This record gives sequence, C-alpha cells and structure tokens, in this order.
Amino acid sequence: MTAGASSAWVSSLAEEHLDAAYNLGRWLLGNEQDAADAVHDAFVRATRSAHTYAGGNARAWWLTIVRNCCLAALKTRRREVPGVAVDTVVDATVDAAANDVEASAQAEQRSRAIERQLRALPVEFRETLILREIEDLSYREIADVLDVPIGTVMSRLSRGRALLQKALAPRTEGDLHGM
Amino acid sequence: MECNEAARLLEPYLDGELDRDAVRALETHVDGCAECQAALGNLGRVRHALRAEAPRYAAPASLRERIRRDAARAAYVPGPRRMPAWSRLAAACFGAFIAGAAVMHFAGGPGAGAGDQAARDLFASHWRALAATSPVDVVSSDRHTVRPWFAGKVAQSPRVTDFADQGFPLVGGRVDYVGTARVPVLVYRHDKHLIDVFVLPSAAPAGASARRDGYSLIWGSLDGQRAAIVSDLDAGELARFESVLTASK
Repeated sequence: MTAGASSAWVSSLAEEHLDAAYNLGRWLLGNEQDAADAVHDAFVRATRSAHTYAGGNARAWWLTIVRNCCLAALKTRRREVPGVAVDTVVDATVDAAANDVEASAQAEQRSRAIERQLRALPVEFRETLILREIEDLSYREIADVLDVPIGTVMSRLSRGRALLQKALAPRTEGDLHGM
Repeated sequence: MECNEAARLLEPYLDGELDRDAVRALETHVDGCAECQAALGNLGRVRHALRAEAPRYAAPASLRERIRRDAARAAYVPGPRRMPAWSRLAAACFGAFIAGAAVMHFAGGPGAGAGDQAARDLFASHWRALAATSPVDVVSSDRHTVRPWFAGKVAQSPRVTDFADQGFPLVGGRVDYVGTARVPVLVYRHDKHLIDVFVLPSAAPAGASARRDGYSLIWGSLDGQRAAIVSDLDAGELARFESVLTASK
C-alpha cells in the first residue's frame, strides 16, 4: 500500500485507541509528560512500520508498539536515575487522613489507595491487570501485546489479583471499623 | 466438578473465556459450594476496585492535537522513497497547508452523526485492507468464483461483474465489518488504484460522499442494493466507475 494509505490507517487507529494507549502509558510510566511522549513516539514508529502489520487485531498491534515505547522510556529513566524505580515509590502519608466524614472524600481516598496499591505491584502484574480490567482485552489480545503465551497471561492475572486482594483487604476492614 | 478444578476456572469464568459447557458445569458447582462462592466474591471485589475505582487516564487534548498534526503532515509526504530536494520542499509546504486544513476539518468533529460514523468505518476498513498482506480474501477476476465464495459468509451474495472492458478489472472480494454488520466487499482495480465496493442492504441509508486524507467515499447502487465506493482514485474516474457499476446488469 502507499505511504499515504498506511499513515492514514495508522492515524485513524491511533485516534480511536488513544485513551487506551495513554492509560497504559500512565500506568507504566507514572506521569503525564512521559506517558504522552511515549504514546507520541509510538505513533511515529507505528506510522513507519505500518507495513509490518500482517492482519489480525489492530488494537493489539498498536498497544504492542505503545508498550514497547514505554518500556524503552523506563529503561532510559533507570539509567539516568540509578536506584530509583519511580513506579514502586509508595506514598504512605495519605493514609493518615482517614475517617473523612464525607462519602465523596472516602471514595476519593479509596480510589487513591487502589491506585497506590496497583502502582506498587511489579510491572508485569500491573500491565496485565490494566489490559484486562481497564482496557478489557481478551487473553489472546493480552498475550499478543505482551508477547507471552496465554498460560502466562492467566498466571500473571491470577497472581496480580491475589496480591491486590491481599493489599486491599486490611484497608476494607479498617474502613468498616471506622464507620 | 471438584473444588480444585472449579477454583482454577473461576478467573477464566469471570473473564468470559470459558465455553458454554464449562460455564454451566462451573455454575452448577458454585451453586452448591460456599467456598467457591466466597472466592468468586473476593475476585468480584478486586474487579470492582479496578474497574470502578481505579482511575482510567484519558489522553490529554495536547497529545491528541500533536498526533493529528503529525498525521495530517505524514499523509501527504511519501514515505521512505528518496525524492529530489525540490520536491521534498514542495511536499513540506503542501503538508503544512494540508495540516491546517485537516485541523480545521477535525475541529468540526464534535457534531459527528451516525452518517459520519459510517464514513469513518468505511474509510478505516479500506485502509485496514490496504495495510493487510492482501486486500482481498478471495483473489479472482472470475466472477463465477467470487460470487459463490460469498455464499454462507454473508446474508446475501452480491451480483459480481467484471468491468475489465471499461478499465476496472475485478481483483477479488472479502468480507468486512461496517459497524457491527458483516458485508461483502468487491475489490476492483484501475491502474494502481484499488477500489472497494461495500455492498450494503438496500434498507441502509445513503450517506453523504466524503473525503479523508486523499481518499474518497461516494455512493451508488448495485443490483438494487446500496453500494459505498471507497478509493484514492481521482474524482472524475471514480464518478465514471460509479456510473459503470450502477448501470451494470
């Protein structure tokens, strides 16, 4: 196909799944600027390598490129800031403001707690959970994006859910006692 | 079903990855097993936490804008092929001009209706086909091969005619989606341009013709069915193709 056709195809694909791409980027890289840069980088790469798309699930093809760009950014960052894995830094001070009377504040707090716990998960469990639960990809699609067998997808999901369940459980009880 | 087998299936069940028989067997077991019910409840809570309470970050407008700008530019600069410097310069100027036009085009987007969505689908399908290894699922210039191939794949096989004599040889056919409908697509060629003819049910509303990134969508009819024609052919030739198609018997 012509260069014009491939770039038109890629931009329509990227536009359609831009939120999915950016959401994955945010969960892998943590902040807005890095996530946006990685997605933009992915778009440039996808436009150049549209000819490598050999049919099949286009969303999975696009998210694969996005993920690769995010991992590349992570690697560069680790080299620049040795010893600090930004995505595993857990802010423990937020818990101090417990027992807010307002329900909205509680929901907000709960959402922050889940976000924190999810960010604290090792990246392979985190990305698998994001793709399954937030982006609603099937096992097959996740396997394609992560380039692992379906069995690995299943075991990562299972392990990730178990870790998250454990991390969130005491908090739920605490909330109950607080009420 | 044993409890340990059921426990292994709870997550695939929740993820919608079990076939119907396995679903039935598992549900029967869970109905009578308090332990599995509790496990399913815990999984449900984790799911709720992730789906309803964890943030899903939406792409910032600045990123969307950045990609649209690049896309508008890229669509008109031929790819890796090397060109003389003067033509690169000309392409860059043209690209910048088009980028402005495309941004304006997209800015008019929010009022997009159902017709707009259909046009998007049709363009996307055409581009996807061009990007795939082959734009057709059945390669044949013989209409007697193409028509039976559609039988059983779509509700109604379209009438297939080769227009080689008029300058539009039949390349083949494929089945594609427009929205959620599976429709037959006839593929023709004119010089190096491919022409997709999406054969829609006669009840489908006629859309407006549209242009996007150098590709055109126009509407015609084929044997009483509505036909959406998508190609990068120039407007005059495309109109000629449409009249050939509509007049065919």
